[in-house]
Amino acid sequence: RPVKCLKSGPDDGGEILEIDESHLLLKLLHRVNERLEEENPEEPLLFDVILITTDSQRQQQSSRIISSTKHYGLEISRFCFASEDDFAESLQTNNVQLFLTTDRNEASQAAQKGVLSALLDQRVAISTSDQLRVMFCEDAVIQPDSGHTPVSTERAVQSFAAQMGEMRRRFRLSDSPLSFILVTLHGGRDRCADSLLTLRSSGLSVDEAYCLAGAPRGPILRCCSLTS
Amino acid sequence: MSEIKPSEAASTDDSAEETDWAAAKAFFDNLKTYKPRPPKPRYAVTIAVSSRTLFNMVAERKIYEDEGLEKYVAYQQEHESEPLKPGAAFPFVKALMTVNTRLRELYPDSEELFDIVLMTNNHAQVGVRLINSINHYDLTIERFCMTGGKSPIGYLKAYMTNLYLSKDAEKVTEAIEEGIAAATMFMPETEAETKLSDTQLRVAFDGDAVLFSDESEIIVKKHGLDSFFEHEKEFENKPLAQGPLKCFLEALGKLQRKFYEKNERMNCPIRTFLVTARSAASSGARVLKTLRSWGLEIDEALFLAGAPKGPLLQKIKPHIFFDDQMFHIEGAKELGTISAHVPYGIGQKYHKGKLIEQPEKKK
Repeated sequence: RPVKCLKSGPDDGGEILEIDESHLLLKLLHRVNERLEEENPEEPLLFDVILITTDSQRQQQSSRIISSTKHYGLEISRFCFASEDDFAESLQTNNVQLFLTTDRNEASQAAQKGVLSALLDQRVAISTSDQLRVMFCEDAVIQPDSGHTPVSTERAVQSFAAQMGEMRRRFRLSDSPLSFILVTLHGGRDRCADSLLTLRSSGLSVDEAYCLAGAPRGPILRCCSLTS
Repeated sequence: MSEIKPSEAASTDDSAEETDWAAAKAFFDNLKTYKPRPPKPRYAVTIAVSSRTLFNMVAERKIYEDEGLEKYVAYQQEHESEPLKPGAAFPFVKALMTVNTRLRELYPDSEELFDIVLMTNNHAQVGVRLINSINHYDLTIERFCMTGGKSPIGYLKAYMTNLYLSKDAEKVTEAIEEGIAAATMFMPETEAETKLSDTQLRVAFDGDAVLFSDESEIIVKKHGLDSFFEHEKEFENKPLAQGPLKCFLEALGKLQRKFYEKNERMNCPIRTFLVTARSAASSGARVLKTLRSWGLEIDEALFLAGAPKGPLLQKIKPHIFFDDQMFHIEGAKELGTISAHVPYGIGQKYHKGKLIEQPEKKK
């Protein structure tokens, strides 16, 4: 099962914790699971969401976290409390395929352990559609400080792409609750074609492709987030 | 109507814009085989073409219509190493590339060039065949949007498009309603007798409801030709309002002036034509005065006084001819001219002078 792991945000002290835009993401993940089970009630390939927190204050309020997620109707299967030092290992032991966080350092630490990570960018993340849109953006992969992508992260991308490709194939080309987008920010058409074919050979046929070749990214990416 | 380039980018986007630009410049500068790098969109004249106007995809389209999306995409993937044949917009695109080559010679550091973007509804996997075909003909198209079925209108705006060409009349209409110059392209029915120029881009425009608004056409349709002549004489000195293609003519004029400034007027690789049913004697003056008041030049103005446009266009041999009336488009096509229909104004409700019964428009 592909596992997505979310990091919980800061605390304002109330009874129910404040929720941020990532709850929209959880709703979309859940929707994909629902559609998968409609196609096949025995479907083994589903999204599994783990909420991880390294905030020690937060950990003392584990019951608040759990009741808050229930309050908002969020589909979270597991809660994980770890320390800042060993959370990346927790990700590995839990077989996490994708780690989402708003903290750049944490993303970097996870990447160094070979776990595919992404920053939740709230400017772009607000989608008005009910389709889960996953964007592979060239030139925006989080690099560890060493300056080049380690082989382990490449493998993580490939395995993630393979699983996503399989999941995507459970649905038809149109009316899918899940869509994959490739954006090439700086390279030309051949660079984009190479990426299309690389992803395809990893098992993922993306639905949409945008080659910007240096055109300003803002307006195009905003367009990608809004869908008709 | 669309401005040449509205300058309203948010300031947070500006520094990102410069970074993206610099990274792309570095990418193209470092390529082993030289490829001209695409211009900065803010300064360029951006032409968006759909896949079906750039390439002939009639056979593939039939597969989509008869057998559905999955079979269509699979077919395209199976044949992705086979280049597609040229479509209606292909000669126009080649002519744009010729102008760019000349501009780069005269102004090596300028970003004021044509930027050709492929704007298609197609699924990204079909894109591989499209890119292979672009490579086969060595077209300078580095930017594209393959929206996998989503509407391209938002992307047209995001790319600051100056002209959008498609086979889909609905998309073209939507674009015009959003203030973007657009036209539906048609392949000519017969082969042109002699080839189109490969040294000069030749663009022909109808006047009313293309360069100008449809205000005068409304008078013809509602009150007849005599009222129209009287009206145009009376208002000879009042400029007509703009039509959907006015800004595109303006963009062409701006590039033409760059050649004039380098003493290349006699050898200018862009030539524009006005082909109007108006008559020079009675209603032509207002048109020329309007263009003058806008500060726009047109190289040749041809007043037909109602004669058919087809034969004249055969002589002009434009790479593209814009008209709002399907009657004229059909006449042009029959005689070998590549035509583009501009679905704007009162002309859409009439065919050969008769009011068409329209079903209630659903919004």
